[in-house]
Amino acid sequence: MSGIEAVDLCFSYGKMMIVRQVSFELEAGEILTILGANGCGKTTLLKCLNMLLKPEGRVMVDNLDLRTLSSRDLAMLMGYVPQIHSPGFPYRVLDVAVSGRTPRLGFSIPSKNDYDLAREALCRVGVGHLADKFYTQISGGELKLVLIARALVQEPKVLLLDEPTSNLDFKNRVLVLKILQEISKEGISVIMSEHDPNLASLFSDKVLLMMNKGEIVSYGPSKEVLTSENIMKVYGLDIEVFEKEGARYIFPNLSG
Amino acid sequence: MASEDCIRYSRPNLGFLKYKAALIFSPLILLLLYLLVGKYDLSFDSLELLLFSDSIDRTIFLNVRLPRAVEAIIFGACMGISGASLQTTLRNPLVSPYFLGISSGAAFGAALSMAIFGHKNFFLIQPSAILFALVAVSLTLGLSKFRGQFSPVSLVLSGMIISALFAGFLSLIQILVEPEKTQSIVAWMIGRLHTITWADVKVSAPLAIFGILGLLYFRWRIFVLSMGDEEARSLGINVERERLMIILLASIGTASVISVTGIIGWVCLIAPHITRFLVGSDPKVLLPASISVGSSFMLLADMISRTIWSFEIPVGVITTIIGAPLFLYLMRRAQNEWY
Repeated sequence: MSGIEAVDLCFSYGKMMIVRQVSFELEAGEILTILGANGCGKTTLLKCLNMLLKPEGRVMVDNLDLRTLSSRDLAMLMGYVPQIHSPGFPYRVLDVAVSGRTPRLGFSIPSKNDYDLAREALCRVGVGHLADKFYTQISGGELKLVLIARALVQEPKVLLLDEPTSNLDFKNRVLVLKILQEISKEGISVIMSEHDPNLASLFSDKVLLMMNKGEIVSYGPSKEVLTSENIMKVYGLDIEVFEKEGARYIFPNLSG
Repeated sequence: MASEDCIRYSRPNLGFLKYKAALIFSPLILLLLYLLVGKYDLSFDSLELLLFSDSIDRTIFLNVRLPRAVEAIIFGACMGISGASLQTTLRNPLVSPYFLGISSGAAFGAALSMAIFGHKNFFLIQPSAILFALVAVSLTLGLSKFRGQFSPVSLVLSGMIISALFAGFLSLIQILVEPEKTQSIVAWMIGRLHTITWADVKVSAPLAIFGILGLLYFRWRIFVLSMGDEEARSLGINVERERLMIILLASIGTASVISVTGIIGWVCLIAPHITRFLVGSDPKVLLPASISVGSSFMLLADMISRTIWSFEIPVGVITTIIGAPLFLYLMRRAQNEWY
């Protein structure tokens, strides 16, 4: 299949199991959102998907087993946007973005064409005007957009994002998710972790709902997964669900 | 989104061209000055005589001043780029090759060789210094490997431990050998260039140039490595292997030059910071520029060491006296840009 497929992924730190028997498949062009409480293993799962950690089980992208690929080949298939990036030295935004070309460059330095691609990607996520600024002097939300641009420059088949909407204001959250939706329509599979079930329901095709210790509560098309029972089970909250014009809205019930 | 407009809006940075010219010419101008200035005055008039006659001028020029200038340039270039590469790769502006145990390893190696074979046998001092510098770096790397992974912090800590250990061994040698040998060990440890001959240049240059070219070749990978381990890996870099190669390239070059000059302090820390101050932190620019700044700094420091007093002051003394306050100044200027 074209897209990504995970089969029986397990991962533990020492004796503590963090990811338990996770399997899913995602076609090219679909968005999968991983939902779950803090500390349930969302980040760990994402790092298992791009082999930053070494999980049991396998991950296939376009029918290639990722365990057999070099880090360079893997980077041509998968882009990764971390939750937190701690800037070391004051680099220009454009240089950070163009570093997404690394797997396609080898040891040479980026050409003018690579810089053009990076500028284009920055403009696309709406931070083109920052290209010549130092990335240590922009806001956390802008930095996130720059990192997304860097992952786009990688021209990946699969894009992994660890909480792409954290640190963003209301408008930028929607903006980022809209951009991700657009990207996915070009045939890229997008996998992201998220905290807001409403945004998950609005923007994703599939949802993976995780409990503590990496146990999967439910996985499938977002409509089927985001039911009040499931969400109550994961967050331990009383929930009300509204439907309006086909979209589903989830709110905590504070009266009870 | 109107991406055409947006692309036109953000222009490439051209201000750096004038730095490029300055960085290329400053070592050349300093070299010319260096060759003319000194206890024995040479002038432009005699350039023809210098090159084609059999005068004392010619001997001084070709066999004393020129090899010394060449070694100063190689030393500065190697220290500049090695320091800049390590600081960037390890994401720490306070590291230098000396921090990894290279200097104390080399000092121990030289002292051991002098203790066993006598202090006049220069042919054995150099290989022994290089060997023990590499032993020290390997020990540092081995110690800092924790659960199969390097962390920059454990690397620096291990470097300090290994340095202390070799400094201890060195003291032991100094106590055990005869006083005259102790004297030559101390003399070796204070970095100097006034004893440099063409033989020294021939011994130290090949590995130093290998290190410099290797690091230049790696400059893009060094930049990506400074994004942090996980991100570098997700951008297709084999982090452990490439970082090890960069550390080894920096170590081999550095060990090779200090095996003939002794421990000339501060250049490997201060030259990258002056460069950072001039051209910014981007390794594509920083690394080549630090070659130029490093060699200019050394030429200047050695010119001072030759001319400021009625006898030669070892250049290591000068670099330390200039380097420490200059470092303090740069640190205060750049405070919010470091950690």
